[in-house]
Amino acid sequence: MPDTPLIQVQHLVKHFGDKVAVDDVSLTVNGGEIFGFLGPNGAGKTTTIKMIVGLLQPTSGTVLVDAHDIQTQPLPAKAASGYVPDEPNLYAKLTARELLRFVGDLYGVERQQTERRLTELLRLFDLTQAGDDPIDSYSHGMRQKTSMAAALVHDPRVLVLDEPTVGLDPKSARLVKDILRQMAERGRAVFLSTHILEIAERMCDRIGIINRGRLVATGTMAELRSLGKGESSLEDIFLGLTGGAEYAELAEVLR
Amino acid sequence: MTRAAGTFDSGLWRSVGRLLRLRLLIAVSGFRHAKARQKAGLVILAVFVLAILALAYFLSTVLLRFLRSPELARVTGDLTTLLESVPVILVAIAFLIVLLTSFGMLLQGLYLAGDMDFLMSAPVPRRAVFIAKLLQAILPTFALICLFALPVLYGLGTATQYTWLYYPLVPVLLAAMALAAAGVSSLLVMIVVRLFPARRVAEVLGLVVGLSMLVFSQSGQFAQMFSPTPEQMGSAARLLAALDTPWSPLAWAGRGLVAIGEGRWASGAMQVALSLGMAALVFGVTLTIAERLYYRGWASMQDQRRKRGAPRKRRSALSLPLAARGAPSPVRAIMLKDARVLRRDLRNLSQLITPLILGVVYALALVRSGGTPPAGRGEAPAWFMESFERLLELGNVAIALFVGYSLVGRLAGIGFSQEGKSYWLLKAAPIRAIDLVTAKFWIAYLPALALGWGFVLLLAIVQATSPATAWFAFPVVALCLAGATGISLAFGITGAKMDWEDPRQMQGTRSGCLGMLAAGVYLMMALGLFQAPALGAGALGLPAWSGQLIGLVVGGAFSLACALVPLRLTIGRVPRLGEG
Repeated sequence: MPDTPLIQVQHLVKHFGDKVAVDDVSLTVNGGEIFGFLGPNGAGKTTTIKMIVGLLQPTSGTVLVDAHDIQTQPLPAKAASGYVPDEPNLYAKLTARELLRFVGDLYGVERQQTERRLTELLRLFDLTQAGDDPIDSYSHGMRQKTSMAAALVHDPRVLVLDEPTVGLDPKSARLVKDILRQMAERGRAVFLSTHILEIAERMCDRIGIINRGRLVATGTMAELRSLGKGESSLEDIFLGLTGGAEYAELAEVLR
Repeated sequence: MTRAAGTFDSGLWRSVGRLLRLRLLIAVSGFRHAKARQKAGLVILAVFVLAILALAYFLSTVLLRFLRSPELARVTGDLTTLLESVPVILVAIAFLIVLLTSFGMLLQGLYLAGDMDFLMSAPVPRRAVFIAKLLQAILPTFALICLFALPVLYGLGTATQYTWLYYPLVPVLLAAMALAAAGVSSLLVMIVVRLFPARRVAEVLGLVVGLSMLVFSQSGQFAQMFSPTPEQMGSAARLLAALDTPWSPLAWAGRGLVAIGEGRWASGAMQVALSLGMAALVFGVTLTIAERLYYRGWASMQDQRRKRGAPRKRRSALSLPLAARGAPSPVRAIMLKDARVLRRDLRNLSQLITPLILGVVYALALVRSGGTPPAGRGEAPAWFMESFERLLELGNVAIALFVGYSLVGRLAGIGFSQEGKSYWLLKAAPIRAIDLVTAKFWIAYLPALALGWGFVLLLAIVQATSPATAWFAFPVVALCLAGATGISLAFGITGAKMDWEDPRQMQGTRSGCLGMLAAGVYLMMALGLFQAPALGAGALGLPAWSGQLIGLVVGGAFSLACALVPLRLTIGRVPRLGEG
């Protein structure tokens, strides 16, 4: 499965009224690859992600997940993907165990397999003890971990994560990184957006940088370095491409 | 930075002013950014309220002048004492209303509002946050009280020709009483939140408020059923009069107002000063105590996780009815999830048990009426009396349908909206729109059907209805409710709101009202189509079963069409829900 394109985004455009949120974005993520999606606030990362997982309808362009068009063949495309949103809004009155069972049923996973998976996932995310408590009693980090567990119940071929490490303690953040790496090693495609450049630099096989709705750069770290003006760190490349360098001058004012 | 850290003004009242200005700014900004239609609506509402105020003032003046007229006094006796007790009763009622209503508002404002983290971490005195929240909490209720009380009190002043000082003192005393009541209420909130989690208290409160509103709305029915005796009415009047006793602090403000109005300056000033002093004392003391308790309560909100090692209650298993067990896995999963969520959220429960209570009330009324037509003078033809009896037997079906309709309106109306911000879970999952709609249909329809059939069965047993009528009622109820579910669910889809914070905002007012209206009109039409052939058969001397059969075919076709067609028309919207 490695090198098989599992996410193919072609000329994706999204308008909100007059505002162009995503402007002609095209990218591919292969199996066995972790793709980091970077961009300043409001650049269009979450909008792109929501179109990839079928939460938003594009104005134009196509998204293929596991070779299925998310608009015309949503069922197989969605069945192949798992999604972790930036805000873990979950059913507050369900317990984590009930939620994972529910997700297993939605994705057509056999009950026995769901039980086995949810037991493993709850243990993995240190939620076994809280598994029978209602989600409204959870902290933000616990909800984030529950959301991550829900995305993994059906062992998806494509995993899409929007800021997955926000609100997690260092141990849980490390766990998430390990899981993503293992997923990639098993031939899954991982697409994640993050503001933590260190995570992108260390973990991602390829990186895409979006600014004002347009994909301004994409490639491996080495390819991105070759695009820049001699910058070696991802932070410098990112600031150079997104126009953040001038903020250094603004920061002087605050001193 | 133009100002160094630490130079901010920490003055209490200045901070309160800043916080209230912030709230005002939010309100003004909300108005500015509202749609033109909403702005126009608000302006019309404001004009309407002013007109109501003027009308209420005018009517109060006329009525109170009439009550003081010597002509009336010759018939009813002197009503001066009664009229003088009006300010006392109104001020006392204002105190009690603020005390009761501000509890929920303070709970929401102090513990459940999203801005508390920001405010508690800002360089603003905690007391200022507390006072600002308290003022915000009582403001809507106080405005409503003024809306009703001011015209009456000013009308009384004009009719009785009270002195000028009476008029400015009225709002001052009302405000003082409201603040004292809010202080006591805040203290109650602090105490309760120290004992129970704030969110749970809010849910229980929602249940209590829902049930209380139901009781009030149905008080006419209860009064009719239990027809109070003169003694009971007398004791109610005595209870009201007890508010106007010299030793009651609540009476001092009203009595002081009357004394000032009548120019009895010394006693008036003393009573007004006493009531203002008492209000300030109550407000000050409760504020200080509540403020101390506040921080701890708020801090405990930050971590309400179950303590490790605490015994955990196993969640009871929930099973679906037999009819739903053959449904596809996603449909069953969504039904189970909805059943759990609805059952566990007490805020939903109050609205869900309302139909049950209404059904019991109306069923009791029907059973008490006997369900038989009046004998009359025996001139009516037999077929007419038979039809009339059949029409009365319709009461059972009508009650069952009313109960089911109330439940369906709620369950189907919020079927999609209740997903709220968690809707992404369903939207990102590989499920067909038709499966989602089917699950929402069943979860609204099955409880309503069970309740409707339960009522039919119960009433048939109690009233010893003939088997021919009883068996006919079951399919009629089932088919009618199916149509009502389809219509309500279709309106629920078109008006679905996923971005609500408060469950009361789940359903858009327009779609909710239109849905209930459309389903109500449909039910009447469907019931007519089911029953008209049965009544007609009786009139034509045909066997009853033939009319019932025709009714089932005609009404059934209409009901099924209403169950399916609206959903067919709106199902296309489902994949786009939640996209704002």
